[in-house]
Amino acid sequence: MRSFLPAVAEQLFRDIQKTYQEASQIPNDLLIALKFVFGSCALQALDLVDQHSVTCLTAPSGRKAFQVTGGSGRLYTCFLSCHYCPCPAFAYSVLRRNDGLVCKHILAVYLSQAMAATQQGSVSDQQMSLLLSGTMDL
Amino acid sequence: MADILTLVFRTFMSQSDLKKDVKVITPSPMTCSTLVVGDHSLSRSVLLLASVTAAAEMGIKVMFFTQTQIQSLPPSLQRCFSYPRTVEELLQQVASLHEPTNTSPTPPSLIIVDRLESFLCGPGGSSQSGFHPGEKSCAAHIAALLCDTAAFLTQVLEQRGSSSAPCRIIASFLSEVNAGGDPSATDPILDVLDRYFQVRCTLDQDSGYEATAAAVQEVWHIYLSGRGITDPSFTEDYNDRPGVAQEWKVSCEQGSRSCTR
Repeated sequence: MRSFLPAVAEQLFRDIQKTYQEASQIPNDLLIALKFVFGSCALQALDLVDQHSVTCLTAPSGRKAFQVTGGSGRLYTCFLSCHYCPCPAFAYSVLRRNDGLVCKHILAVYLSQAMAATQQGSVSDQQMSLLLSGTMDL
Repeated sequence: MADILTLVFRTFMSQSDLKKDVKVITPSPMTCSTLVVGDHSLSRSVLLLASVTAAAEMGIKVMFFTQTQIQSLPPSLQRCFSYPRTVEELLQQVASLHEPTNTSPTPPSLIIVDRLESFLCGPGGSSQSGFHPGEKSCAAHIAALLCDTAAFLTQVLEQRGSSSAPCRIIASFLSEVNAGGDPSATDPILDVLDRYFQVRCTLDQDSGYEATAAAVQEVWHIYLSGRGITDPSFTEDYNDRPGVAQEWKVSCEQGSRSCTR
């Protein structure tokens, strides 16, 4: 298993982005494909996107990270360039059981980007360091 | 960073071996992260040689993270070494590499972490049973943070027009799993790390008859493998053949080392 998306998933997000730009909605065939590739976390991730739960944080250095507000209100910091999430589902389903490609938070990041639904925020360089190290959630 | 390791091994090759086509492949994003797996003493030597080679021959800035203080470093390299005591300190120090104090005047373009397993091992000790489920998540966190940091620093280096791009990562990890002799056993932490490191450099001591009969002190086989490796002898398009291994043999006689390929 890799920490990056397989080609089929990358193509799926490109298709979603193109279709959403044109029609402001995801057609059924792409929703079915999403569920097929990502399983049960697909609908949960779409819910997170609907709730505007994904924020891209930027520091003055230019370093970025995504912060996702989970269903319980807890904040999860995800990286830009590879898959990691501190949530229990990532640790259990992805790392331990190899059941899924990603958790719902990482999937929400991809969908948010494809649907241009990502919120923007800024933090200081030191705050970004604390977020990336898992020492602090804003 | 397979290019840096190849350069390190070439340093110890004889003149006749150097005439063979030992190409130092220009790193692509796929070859930038390498996990060195094997004996501590040789892996530490490889990492130290890599850092010195990178700094001296390639002129790139190195950051070396290790728990064990290294004595007798030349002054020019001392500022490159950091000694976090715990995995939390390691995470904090790697996470802060984007800050201006670390990217000025130049960002690091080689990040080395020595003995990842000593940072990750749980309170139960260094055996396989010492790795609790939380350690898998911790291993993923530090590996992902290293990769993401390298990606960011690569972007900074490229924006500044630096020839030192991309930023490379080398980490060493000693797996205890096969010490018990079961070749089918897998290390769950190594499985996690393999998700993030594209190249694996395996250090394997040769205990066969030939090595013993040759009466050399130690013979090591070094394999580069993984999805980030391509072999130019098979194809001119380096991107077409992922997973083709490269192999070296290191003979360590008293006071010297030599390499063949």
